[in-house]
Amino acid sequence: MTSAAENMHGTGIEALNVYCGIASIPVRSIFEGRSLDVGRIGNLMMEQRSIGLPCEDPVTNAVNAAMPVIERLNPEEKAAIEILIISSESGVDYSKSIASYVHEHLGLSRECRLIEAKQACYAATAAVQMAVAYVASGISQGAKVLVVATDVSLADDRVGYAEPAMGTGGAAILVSAQPSIMSVDFGAFGSYSYETLDSARPGPAFDIVDTDKSLFAYLDCLSRSFENYARRVEGADFVATFDYLAFHTPFGGLVKAAHRKMMRECAKASAEQVEEDFVRRVKPSLIYPCIVGNLCSGSVYLALSSLIDTAPLNGGSRVGVFSYGSGCSSEFFSGLIHHSSASVLAEMRIAAHLGDRCVLTFEQYTQLLADNLRCLVPEKNRRIDLASSDKILARARARRMLVLREIRDYHREYDWV
Amino acid sequence: MDREDIAGIVYKTIAKILPVPPGEISGEKHIRDLGADSVDRVEIILSLIDQLKIHEPLASFAEIKNINGLVELLYERKRL
Repeated sequence: MTSAAENMHGTGIEALNVYCGIASIPVRSIFEGRSLDVGRIGNLMMEQRSIGLPCEDPVTNAVNAAMPVIERLNPEEKAAIEILIISSESGVDYSKSIASYVHEHLGLSRECRLIEAKQACYAATAAVQMAVAYVASGISQGAKVLVVATDVSLADDRVGYAEPAMGTGGAAILVSAQPSIMSVDFGAFGSYSYETLDSARPGPAFDIVDTDKSLFAYLDCLSRSFENYARRVEGADFVATFDYLAFHTPFGGLVKAAHRKMMRECAKASAEQVEEDFVRRVKPSLIYPCIVGNLCSGSVYLALSSLIDTAPLNGGSRVGVFSYGSGCSSEFFSGLIHHSSASVLAEMRIAAHLGDRCVLTFEQYTQLLADNLRCLVPEKNRRIDLASSDKILARARARRMLVLREIRDYHREYDWV
Repeated sequence: MDREDIAGIVYKTIAKILPVPPGEISGEKHIRDLGADSVDRVEIILSLIDQLKIHEPLASFAEIKNINGLVELLYERKRL
């Protein structure tokens, strides 16, 4: 690996952005509205979650995340995007990919590969690693790969305490040989995967989750994937190697428990040492996830955005990244961020957009749920009632947004508003 | 270490992490029934693995039916 003090070079993330909707609800409102035990909010470590609108779907979430990245490229740079990989557990068709719509609405070159990848919340990291390998291979000089993680929430009262933690939105990650956001440590990764049914989406309108199975799988995978990382990277040490950590964040409380587990296993740390380390190395990555919820495939990149936007970055900092997806597959990898990463990411104004979201009441939220649950259900024809979301959309007028207008003969049709 | 020793450690650990009177803890209950949320459950299992110095994937604990089942699993692994 390179020294953390070296300048950014190599291959990695050139640009990063997240789109987390334009509506939100305080987590406490869902607890109270569903008569859940508010005593559990503390361990959940969640304050708000993003809520989708009936005119939003995995395509709009992906495009609204990626367009600010694309708009900053000149025509030559845009044409250099040779692969578009969409990672999602919210497919809109068994055959036609979300990527086909996203490619069209981003106006990417027709000389571009399109693909959709699925492995629950992990797939975006598999896509990023394949993109890094493609770019680094030199097979096509100057090539860029755009990875977009995008999902929608299907959570309602059927999933109990998972409902207040689910988010919605997308994360766009542009991979190239100009890693202005994060250079990925080449060859520094560890994976761990096995078959389990911890959570899944067996149909287009519902999720299933076995909470214990899922949390335990996440924690086992973190230990095992880091062990695999440590076998590949000489001298790797969970405490000393990484200035910061960014983990897949289904809810903040799980990340805190995962960090505590690793600090005990790897360093026999005391409770006080664990807390100090958590506040210093992990907490910056949780600021956005704790007000957005589980972004699913994009979750770990939301955590990375949060870290870069809020952590003090002096010189180079090495970040340990853990990505987990139910089913299950996981990976621990690392990269180098720099103080300049923060100024590049700041152009996306992520914190300002999160602060601008329209705060819904529990009643407004439940009124949206029925329509939101139709988002992925195959329907031959359906017109979206944009008027029902007018007041919320009006708050986002300063942003150019893609919205779903209609499904006609199974074809999804969109408008910019 | 026999089953009773393991059960003693399990009951003591649960009582330390959950705000329940020790009298309410019984083998037929799941720790979920005692008000343990998912983070509490993780903490209880990790604490037990740590105290008993066993090496067992957490996934093995996902299927346990109640505290008796937890004691039995820990006892079996400790014997190995």
